[in-house]
Amino acid sequence: MKKLLLAGLSAAVMTAAVVGSSAQTQLNRNEIINSLQGAQQKVDVSADALQKAAFENIQKYPGANSPQGVPLWDKLASLRQFNIEITFDFDSARIKPESYETVGLIADALHTPYLQGQTFFIVGHTDAKGDREYNLELSIRRAKAVREALVTTFQVPSQYLFAVGMGEEQLREPSKPDAAINRRVQLINVGYR
Amino acid sequence: MKRLIFALMATLLLASGPAAAQTVGFAEAIKILSASCGADIEKYCKSATLANNGIGQCLAQNEAKVSQKCNADRAVVASLIQERLAAQAAAPKICTNDARRLCKGVKEGAGHVLRCLLKAQRSVGEKCNTAIDLAGYR
Repeated sequence: MKKLLLAGLSAAVMTAAVVGSSAQTQLNRNEIINSLQGAQQKVDVSADALQKAAFENIQKYPGANSPQGVPLWDKLASLRQFNIEITFDFDSARIKPESYETVGLIADALHTPYLQGQTFFIVGHTDAKGDREYNLELSIRRAKAVREALVTTFQVPSQYLFAVGMGEEQLREPSKPDAAINRRVQLINVGYR
Repeated sequence: MKRLIFALMATLLLASGPAAAQTVGFAEAIKILSASCGADIEKYCKSATLANNGIGQCLAQNEAKVSQKCNADRAVVASLIQERLAAQAAAPKICTNDARRLCKGVKEGAGHVLRCLLKAQRSVGEKCNTAIDLAGYR
């Protein structure tokens, strides 16, 4: 199942590892637009329900690592989506200056007519190091921080953006639970609402 | 070098005012902030976030301590973002007539009309096309 899920993810996997202020990022606005636009299907998964399902997953399968992902998550697998690396302070939801440009690129993309009027989940993910519940809470704060930056600094209309945290419940690379590749912010186009 | 180019570009844009044929995207704008103020942000604004202009306010409060370059570019970034937002607000109005002419029956809102105008670029008037460029939609 996980394999399928991974295969279903957008091929546009990026590593905007911007080290220092002068490093080039390979990411550009159109990459984000191309990955997110079009091909919308009706999905009736609310951000609240998804968030609740993540907490329930921890209760249902307690322990250091979950043997199973969040069932509701599968419904999103076929939607248009994009994974982005945004760097935060350690154990914090504060976006580092080196990632400002990346957040700006998301704003540039969301403002274009190609993505206007569509609704997006901003999903935060962590790696599997540390306590699962803590990771879940941290990922919620981080997703909210990205949403807030987009809504306030870049004035993306707030009604189209929903922040959800998945913690370590949906690893991108389940065979390497502690790897950095699992730490990411994912944008998912859930369509016109 | 890159910083210099950005600063120059920003200055030029500001100096040339609303008649400029180009605005800068949000990513380009905020990149200046991270380049010019990144070190100062990490030093003086450890608890400030990007939301609600928290970083901008923190840098303003620490004006005496942050680098000259950062002080100068902070204002530039704010104006660049405002310019882009203003261009985006203006585009639908400037394009009203073109939309009426070329996008009959297209649903209002949600970017539908603008997408129609993007497709119809060759038939769209110069003013509207320029407005779309300034808004960063193409």
